[in-house]
Amino acid sequence: MSLDAIPVHVINTPPAEPGLSGNALPLLREISELLRHLLETGATGTIDLSALPLTPADLEWLQDKLGEGEIAVTLQANGESTLNETACSGVWWVVHRNTQGAVTTQFIEVAWVPELVKAHPQDVKIGQESLELLISDL
Amino acid sequence: MQGPLIDTLARQGITRRTFLKYCATLASMMALPPSAGLAMAEAIAAVRRPSVIWLPFQECTGCTESITRSHSPTLEGMIFDMISLDYQETLMAAAGFQAEEALHNAMKDNMGKYLLIVDGSIPLGLDGAYSCIGGRSNLEILKEAAEGAAAIIAMGSCASFGGIPKANPNPTGAVSVSDIIKNKPIVNIPGCPPIPAVITGVLAHYLTFGTLPELDDKKRPKAFYGETIHDRCYRRPFYDQGKFAKTFDDEGARRGWCLFELGCKGPVTYNACATEKWNGGTSWPVESGHGCLGCSEPDFWDAGGFYKALSMPADPLKIASAASVAGAAAGVAISVANRAKKGAARSAHETTGLADLEK
Repeated sequence: MSLDAIPVHVINTPPAEPGLSGNALPLLREISELLRHLLETGATGTIDLSALPLTPADLEWLQDKLGEGEIAVTLQANGESTLNETACSGVWWVVHRNTQGAVTTQFIEVAWVPELVKAHPQDVKIGQESLELLISDL
Repeated sequence: MQGPLIDTLARQGITRRTFLKYCATLASMMALPPSAGLAMAEAIAAVRRPSVIWLPFQECTGCTESITRSHSPTLEGMIFDMISLDYQETLMAAAGFQAEEALHNAMKDNMGKYLLIVDGSIPLGLDGAYSCIGGRSNLEILKEAAEGAAAIIAMGSCASFGGIPKANPNPTGAVSVSDIIKNKPIVNIPGCPPIPAVITGVLAHYLTFGTLPELDDKKRPKAFYGETIHDRCYRRPFYDQGKFAKTFDDEGARRGWCLFELGCKGPVTYNACATEKWNGGTSWPVESGHGCLGCSEPDFWDAGGFYKALSMPADPLKIASAASVAGAAAGVAISVANRAKKGAARSAHETTGLADLEK
């Protein structure tokens, strides 16, 4: 049941979002560095946004600067996750939510394709086997 | 026991990606580098499930409830698939002779390798007669089970520090696990009950790295008990502004101001409630409008009253004077008020914990 179902009237609206802390700007440089690393060595990188002292306004600022890309991936796994490409190709904004829809963790992943999107060889093998079984039954 | 864990999970409909996501969240929660999530997933997926023996002593089963009654399908439930829980009286189907046999078989087969989880304190009074299982005292059972354990996890405030059974006047002579066992690695996971994610985090760390996580001086994992409730409380800005609720239904309470003067023990309580929250991240005591009881700290039951502000003397005859000090503090710089309260408390020979506040 969501809170909307309960007739609660909020008297005190939450205070206005705290402003920018100044912690978001250095992140852009770090992302740029990770991209350089990706291009040179192919090694991927991840920044754990939940572990950094970022205000909601910081996150909004960062999201605004990175922009929206062409690909948006939705993953249904114990709650919805979104793995969205930013306007900066190779930079992915990854948000994990729990089954209640609350954000559990947020990452910036610098990679050709986010790790979670890739199919695991073992899973592909299981898929192939079941397909073979299906064909043999036809 | 069986193949890799990932296959066990797959049989239960838990996909690899769900598992990867879980590990990423867990790594973040434990302040490990983001790459650790993937490493954890690979290590845990391939691991043979370690044998875990769970002994309940002088306890209320609240700790078991905390782990097993969280939302389903839970991440916490998943991690129980990562271990082979060979003995847990509350959860196991076996009883009597079969149950005791399962315990002894698990101990024999996994000698020196099993993890021992203990919830509840151990009564020493009357030769341990206050709490017996199958005619044997908790003390005797603990000593025997600890002998072959690789490590011991003291789950909850009772096992960690003695908890409520140890509260004055401690009629049963209750003590903690670390009061008895001195020669094994022990992790304390205090809380009444502890946060489910904290125990699963410790188990995941053990499965991934084969070691226990870094602990503080009270043997608590630093990743979860490194900061006080107050440090991470969303009401902290109101404390800093000197805005306090004076009663549970005044204007301040409605505006969500700091509950310090209503007895909140957040400033001296090390736990992760403010960040992990409870009931699947729904809320936590302070968010529900009640101060922190300090349930994860030693002897919290005897800390002078849940509704007494931290610095106030516990002696009721002196409350009036202390309250007037607090009243005079309104509108004055809070540090001055703290010093005054600290002085008043010191003269009443009470532990203040306020030194922790002034950083």
